[in-house]
Amino acid sequence: MIPNAKTCLYPKDPPQAVSLLQEHGKRALILAGGTTAALSHDPEVEVLIDISRMGCDAIEPQGGGWRVGCNVRLQRIASHAGLAGLWGGVLSQAAAAVGSRPIRNAVTLGGNLVQIFRWSDTPVALLAMGARLELLGPRGPRSVGADEFYARHPRQVLEPAELLVAVQAASPVGKAGGAFIKYARTAVDLAVADAAACLRVEGGRCVEARLAIGATRALPWRASEAEALLTGQALTPARLGEAAALARKACKPVGDARTDKAYRERMVEVVARRALERAVANLQERA
Amino acid sequence: MDIHVTVNGRPEVWQAAPGESALELIRRLGYTSVKRGCSQGDCGACTILVDGQAMRACLLVAAQLEGRAVTTAEGLGSLDRPHPLQRAFVDAGAVQCGFCTPGMLLASQALLVETPRPDATAVREALDGNLCRCTGYKKIVEAVLLAAERMA
Ligand SMILES: Cc1cc2nc3c(=O)[nH]c(=O)nc-3n(C[C@H](O)[C@H](O)[C@H](O)COP(=O)(O)OP(=O)(O)OC[C@H]3O[C@@H](n4cnc5c(N)ncnc54)[C@H](O)[C@@H]3O)c2cc1C
Ligand code: FES
Ligand code: FES
Repeated sequence: MIPNAKTCLYPKDPPQAVSLLQEHGKRALILAGGTTAALSHDPEVEVLIDISRMGCDAIEPQGGGWRVGCNVRLQRIASHAGLAGLWGGVLSQAAAAVGSRPIRNAVTLGGNLVQIFRWSDTPVALLAMGARLELLGPRGPRSVGADEFYARHPRQVLEPAELLVAVQAASPVGKAGGAFIKYARTAVDLAVADAAACLRVEGGRCVEARLAIGATRALPWRASEAEALLTGQALTPARLGEAAALARKACKPVGDARTDKAYRERMVEVVARRALERAVANLQERA
Repeated sequence: MDIHVTVNGRPEVWQAAPGESALELIRRLGYTSVKRGCSQGDCGACTILVDGQAMRACLLVAAQLEGRAVTTAEGLGSLDRPHPLQRAFVDAGAVQCGFCTPGMLLASQALLVETPRPDATAVREALDGNLCRCTGYKKIVEAVLLAAERMA
């Protein structure tokens, strides 16, 4: 419930949404899927801006990769045939891991990426794919990499009245694979730990490795020591195990109601190893 | 504000505060098959169909329903003419206290429109967001499969 909202506006396209956000400033609240926003209770909000009707709901091939609009609901990403082939389906797997079916029917990709919680699932996949985020603000469009978007809280990266409009991910050239693994207490619970891995191989050696970890700290992060250990090397099971151990060493997790620090640390190693193993198992030459 | 919705196939105009909970609004208007369980997205008792998709009414505000088609259990069938899913829930013994039942029916209905002959795994996946404190789920899954068979 948003107690003092007096009106709701339905922008027709992103530029209109940006100008409405500019006009109403701090009195405005964006509704995308609404799954967090609907429970806001913020007494200062007077204007609701429902961005779910401004378009931005396409999943489309773009320059050898894919572009996914901010309003695409996670259930569509989870079941999309084309995205299943992008980096081993790492983004689809992350979307499928979010909550339950009715939650995924409602949550938008934009909402899941901006309204970030420690345990948010799809941002981890974005870091692993090295995706880019398309933003539109009062000063025009710009594009930022996932690393930059999650170096601080995304709300600090976004300027006032700036929207996330779409995500772009390039398809890897040559032989590549990827996977997302979430460990939670039940099929619909929030993550104890999750990991996404994207690997590219040439002549039997790894030439590109990204391993991202979620649910451990305020923001998802890349296990750069683990990535460095894999790069230039043959991806043997032993080496994958060593990389996962490095992720554990670097993770410095928080404890919470779900689990304590020590257990979360151990689970980081497990999900990291499984993500790397599955990425290797689905290494595929692009047709 | 005025909210234009199609409810169970009938166009209606609802007067509501834009930021009020869609769950509270729908119940106030008499669609009390939509249950209030947790009010935070965990239980599925408040499930409605919005443009055919199962969603949590407690995670929507009134203004988000503008222009949408909403289905509640009232729209599935009646005592005289129950929907095949409702009939199958009775026949399979899938109802105990009944609090979860409207949500289970709607999530099942969304599944059967998309996948008319699901297997048990698909049923369990489609109902993964609906909690039941009574039945242990087995008979609910059986009921959905029975309805699918009868509707084929
Ligand atoms: C019961 C439950 C279980 C859940 N489980 C999980 C889980 O396991 N894993 C997981 O990752 N998530 C989970 N979620 C979802 C997560 O908590 C958020 O609710 C969701 O990601 C928000 O997305 P939304 O589209 O509903 O955004 P909204 O709630 O509509 O928006 C929230 C805010 O995000 C910002 N925003 C949204 N879209 C944009 C945009 N395009 N540009 C700029 N800003 C924007 C705005 O500030 C907006 O007010 C769960 C949610 C619930 C209720
Ligand atoms: S009342 Fe909406 S999910 Fe529980
Ligand atoms: S029958 Fe009682 S909660 Fe399901």
